[in-house]
Amino acid sequence: MSDLVLENIGKTYANGYHAIPSIDLNIEQGEFIVLVGPSGCGKSTLLRMVAGLETITQGDLLIKGERVNDKEPAARDIAMVFQNYALYPHMSVYDNMAYGLKNRGVNKDEIDTKVNAVAVMLGLEELLSRKPKQLSGGQRQRVAMGRAMVRDPKVFLFDEPLSNLDAKLRVQMRVEIRELQRKLGTTTLYVTHDQVEAMTLADRLVVLNKGHAEQIGTPMELYDRPASTFVAQFIGSPSMNLIPTAVKSEYLQLGVDIRLPCPQLADQKLIWGIRPEHVEICAAEEADVMLSVKAVEALGAETLVHGSLQLGDGNTPNFVVRLAGHHTPKSGERLPLRVPKSAWHLFDAETQQRVEKSCN
Amino acid sequence: MSVHFPQKKLPYLLLLPQLVITFIFFLWPAEQAIEQAFYQEDAFGLSREFVGLDNFIDIFQDPQYYTSIGVTLIFSFSVAFLGMALALWLAVMADRVIRGKLAYQTLLIWPYAVAPALAGVLWWILFDPSMGPVALWLETVGVEWNHFLNGDQAMILVVISATWKQISYNFLFFLAGLQAVPRSLIEAAAIDGASPAKRFWDIVFPLLSPTTFFLLVVNLVYAFFDTFGVIDATTQGGPGVSTATMVYKVFNDGFIGLDLGSSAAQSVVLMGLVGIMTVVQFRYIERKVEY
Repeated sequence: MSDLVLENIGKTYANGYHAIPSIDLNIEQGEFIVLVGPSGCGKSTLLRMVAGLETITQGDLLIKGERVNDKEPAARDIAMVFQNYALYPHMSVYDNMAYGLKNRGVNKDEIDTKVNAVAVMLGLEELLSRKPKQLSGGQRQRVAMGRAMVRDPKVFLFDEPLSNLDAKLRVQMRVEIRELQRKLGTTTLYVTHDQVEAMTLADRLVVLNKGHAEQIGTPMELYDRPASTFVAQFIGSPSMNLIPTAVKSEYLQLGVDIRLPCPQLADQKLIWGIRPEHVEICAAEEADVMLSVKAVEALGAETLVHGSLQLGDGNTPNFVVRLAGHHTPKSGERLPLRVPKSAWHLFDAETQQRVEKSCN
Repeated sequence: MSVHFPQKKLPYLLLLPQLVITFIFFLWPAEQAIEQAFYQEDAFGLSREFVGLDNFIDIFQDPQYYTSIGVTLIFSFSVAFLGMALALWLAVMADRVIRGKLAYQTLLIWPYAVAPALAGVLWWILFDPSMGPVALWLETVGVEWNHFLNGDQAMILVVISATWKQISYNFLFFLAGLQAVPRSLIEAAAIDGASPAKRFWDIVFPLLSPTTFFLLVVNLVYAFFDTFGVIDATTQGGPGVSTATMVYKVFNDGFIGLDLGSSAAQSVVLMGLVGIMTVVQFRYIERKVEY
């Protein structure tokens, strides 16, 4: 039986706005699920609905088989880490962590044991008597997590918990959160807009777009077989190159250099997708396409080359190439590129949905 | 940052009206009061005699002065407590309202615009023993209301009318304070299993403490020094001296009793009090209350 089940969950505000039309999701015990999407996609709303901070206007929410739609947040046995940490500023670190236990009538000795155990786990022993404002961002983040962990809830909810930290600390905390979650084995629902965070943390990802789930799957499934152009662009950085094209008389009309018979896709408008990292430089006579270089970003381990493709049909769509190591093409130079057919993604230009390529 | 005027005199010229007003209406009368406190003057203002500290010694030996201090303390703390408690309650309610929020908030601010004398008269009419609707209603529930005879009832009446005026002001500050409490804190407390009442007392109320402390000082200053109009319009300090606060006694002794020396000495004592309260206010509020 799944641990956390969202069945046809939807949210319509009193003013008639459909924030979330309908979402189905089964989360297994101990699974780390990341809800990811651009701002305004409904991911935080969905999380808050699970927490009980927003009402659910449609569908059923089950925690361990029990329907909790109408239960108060406190009765759902969940714990939440907020984006701004939401630490009680007038309480010490200890009291912040103990507050939830006190409210549940746990006796003093037990509270003491639990808080200390969590403090040791998070390296907060020295800070227990401090007030939140005497802590650094990373320490506050830890206290917020400690407050969630100390109650040993059925489900952890994280609402963009790392977005207020600097880049270095974010990477460090990301690893820590993943480790802790593995160790505790608590089912987790995590919201972020950062796709790197999403990819690295998730057992399974839910990509949300305008309140509906574009795709649910493991990070690698989403990377390898994005279900739509939205997912294709959202997962992976820099994002996938998408070039509108068409099939005419069984040939993909990309230009003189690429021709591929596609009998199944007759006279259809398509989008051709290629990840920047799946392109390689080759000798001019082997080239599939030519890239006219506009700008080069050298990052040491890799080099990003921004430019435009010189297609036979006269179009010059923007294109990004990600090359390993050092490369120093000049602006204006023409780079011959090979695009392996295994790296192709095809999407229907109308529905933006993935088209299975079976045309080799 | 400093601003440079090309002419040296212009800034002073621009300041002059304010300085003149401050001097004529604040500094000069204050100086006069201090001077007068050391003199004994006849009722017609024709002659006066230097008496040193006699006026001060007199008032501190006068049991009536201590009565007025007691009246002032009871009155001030009642007004401050009631005014703040009710305003906080109203602010919490208004903060929860979703529809017509602005209308409620606007209506709740109106009493502040009513002149003190009018407010006094309003309550005086409502509680008038022979025709006031509230007094008549009280009679039907078995309370004999006559604030002309009953000192405690007179006190209740001035406290009510002084409080009513101050609620709007307190309300505004509490509402702003409530809106500054991050929603996520309350949500976190809800997830932590705190009932709505517990959330308020454990989280919201402590976070309001800077506002509460500021309002406490402001309200005490108001009740001490700024309620002459309300008292004069409602009870005139009576019956007897049961609602004569220190400020009212200054007026009563000086302008009714024509004992200008004693009245001036009392004013000087009040000046000292204002000074202390101002120091408290700046010392603690500027630094904000720590939580």
